[in-house]
Amino acid sequence: MSNDVAIDVQELTKRYGELVAVNGISFTVNRGEIFAFLGPNGAGKTTTVEILECLRKPTSGKAYVLGFDIGKNQREIKKRTGVLPQDFYTYERLTVKETIQYYAGMFDAHPDVDELIRLVDLEEKKNDLFKNLSGGLKQRLGIAVALVNDPDMLFLDEPSAGLDPKARHGVWHLIDGLHKKGKTVFLTTHYMEEAEILADRVGIIHNGRIIALDSPENLISEHGTKNLLILKKTSPQAVPNIQKLGIKARYDGTTGDVTVHLNHAVGVSEILHALSSTDVPFGELQLKRSSLEDVFLNLTGVSLGEEESSI
Amino acid sequence: MSHVAIDLKASLKSFWRNKSTIFWTLAFPTVLILLFGAIFSQSSMRYDLYVQNQDLTDGEPTYWSNNFITALNSTNAFNIQTVNATINATDYALTNRLSTLLIIPPGFNTSANTALYTHGATTANVTFVYDQSTSSALVVQSIVISIVDRLNFELSQGVDYLTVQDLTIAPQRFGYIDFFVPGVIGMTAMTTSIFTSVSISAQFKKNGIFHKLATTPLRRYEWILSRTIYNVLISYLGMAVMILMGIGIFGMKMTLDAVSLLMVAMASLMFTGLGMIIARFVKDPDGADAAANVITFPMMFLSGTFFQLSQMPQFLQTIARVLPLTYVSEGLRAAMIFGQTQQAIYNTALITVLGIASIVIGSLITKWEED
Repeated sequence: MSNDVAIDVQELTKRYGELVAVNGISFTVNRGEIFAFLGPNGAGKTTTVEILECLRKPTSGKAYVLGFDIGKNQREIKKRTGVLPQDFYTYERLTVKETIQYYAGMFDAHPDVDELIRLVDLEEKKNDLFKNLSGGLKQRLGIAVALVNDPDMLFLDEPSAGLDPKARHGVWHLIDGLHKKGKTVFLTTHYMEEAEILADRVGIIHNGRIIALDSPENLISEHGTKNLLILKKTSPQAVPNIQKLGIKARYDGTTGDVTVHLNHAVGVSEILHALSSTDVPFGELQLKRSSLEDVFLNLTGVSLGEEESSI
Repeated sequence: MSHVAIDLKASLKSFWRNKSTIFWTLAFPTVLILLFGAIFSQSSMRYDLYVQNQDLTDGEPTYWSNNFITALNSTNAFNIQTVNATINATDYALTNRLSTLLIIPPGFNTSANTALYTHGATTANVTFVYDQSTSSALVVQSIVISIVDRLNFELSQGVDYLTVQDLTIAPQRFGYIDFFVPGVIGMTAMTTSIFTSVSISAQFKKNGIFHKLATTPLRRYEWILSRTIYNVLISYLGMAVMILMGIGIFGMKMTLDAVSLLMVAMASLMFTGLGMIIARFVKDPDGADAAANVITFPMMFLSGTFFQLSQMPQFLQTIARVLPLTYVSEGLRAAMIFGQTQQAIYNTALITVLGIASIVIGSLITKWEED
């Protein structure tokens, strides 16, 4: 395995009786990158990450973390990795500082505890008991705890699940900072925005299989819809005018909006010119960028939200 | 080993900061001791006084012996129990574990009359047999003496016509509190260890703390060792409080030796293991408490914690013989109260073997993470 590869997964499978949670997946994670596993709950993200954390045994296949075999070198992997589990929880009656010291002790590590507290912006809360922290602060403490052994590799399992938008952005900022420090981050998420903002590469996992793996930009460009121009409160007459330019347009009778599928050949100004020259009225204009949500929809036929609610 | 110390420190800190846990850990046995101690140890206002009147004429009490018994009765301090005049009173007191017995000897009436005629040149004596190790006996003795003094005053303005001869008996007598406290110490070691390990295991599983710990180099046996030491320390804390209360409030008589300390530690080990075995089969903290109750309550009441096994029906005694807490309670009593060292060592050895077995099984089946 190359030194540039932090994780190497080969044909990994995990079965629970009849259920195949992870179905023969293979991928690599490069050192220093943020790699996101994106998929709905139950897709196999957590099972995969827990196999890599040496918490579960795979049914078949191989995996190496930092060059160590997950089946043979579990202690070596544990010493060198940091883990933020889903909904980090610990001794309720230890303070923030004591919690960090506790886990540092478990790794026989001697980190600068105050520096870690500063890093996760918990200086004002350092003497607060864990049970009195909000969800967002608990997750930030969990990230500090994951860093006590100065790991080369971080596993963050749904790091911002259940947090309010402000707390979520705080966690994203932290993860981005770790990336800048050169840490390799493997994160699982079912928030496409999280993957899109943070990840260098995204693996989309569905029903235990990786159905796409690339940078967010490439995934969107390859599997996403085109960027959309939405003309609010216009008339059906706009559609033939736009189609004359050789691009797709669709009228929604309920909203009175026309959605135009943009491509590189025709600019927005040409569309507007075509409309104004024939006096087709319209309200406001809206530009909609294609996202990983669209990628997931195109690849699976269902949206991330629908998939979750069906589970 | 440092991992064990770190986890133990965290557990003790958590215990210390959880005032309700401290309260309930110590309150239950404290309330039991106060309640049962008060019910069974506190002497009532009336004391049992066994009286053997050997001074009879044609089976009837003589004048002076009858007067003396009437004087005893008039105080309302005694429930007077009559002992057959023909038996050996001292043996009777020993056999029946009586703390006091008054013997009016044959010829008491004659002696009293002689004392009157001689103005105290001779005296009439009664014998007060008592167990000096019981506090109530001393109270009874002082009342009897005051009655004799009063009679002397009425008869002679203070010349001793009647005297009380003391005869002490010191059988192996123990009060209820002496019996009870070692039982509650054993019971507390059980409840503390089982409930702590069951509920901590269930909570750590539910909250994902096991999951997080499993990602660190902490080994499972290190965590189990830490929890076991924690349970031993908490059991010792309970033991200290109960002994102080037993001695301070109820005048309990006991010795604290290495065997009894070892017994409490081994009992904690055994019940920690048992708690872990229970925890393996429960899914959530609520179920864990219920399961722990199912195990601890029958043991609490059937293992001779509150009452002597011999007072229970035979079939319950048979059940008690297979319950480990029985051997803990009996071992602690043997060590702390009765001074039966061999019995104490035997029971402690038995509990040590069971303790090692249960902690090994508990450790093997405890899982931090699913397959």
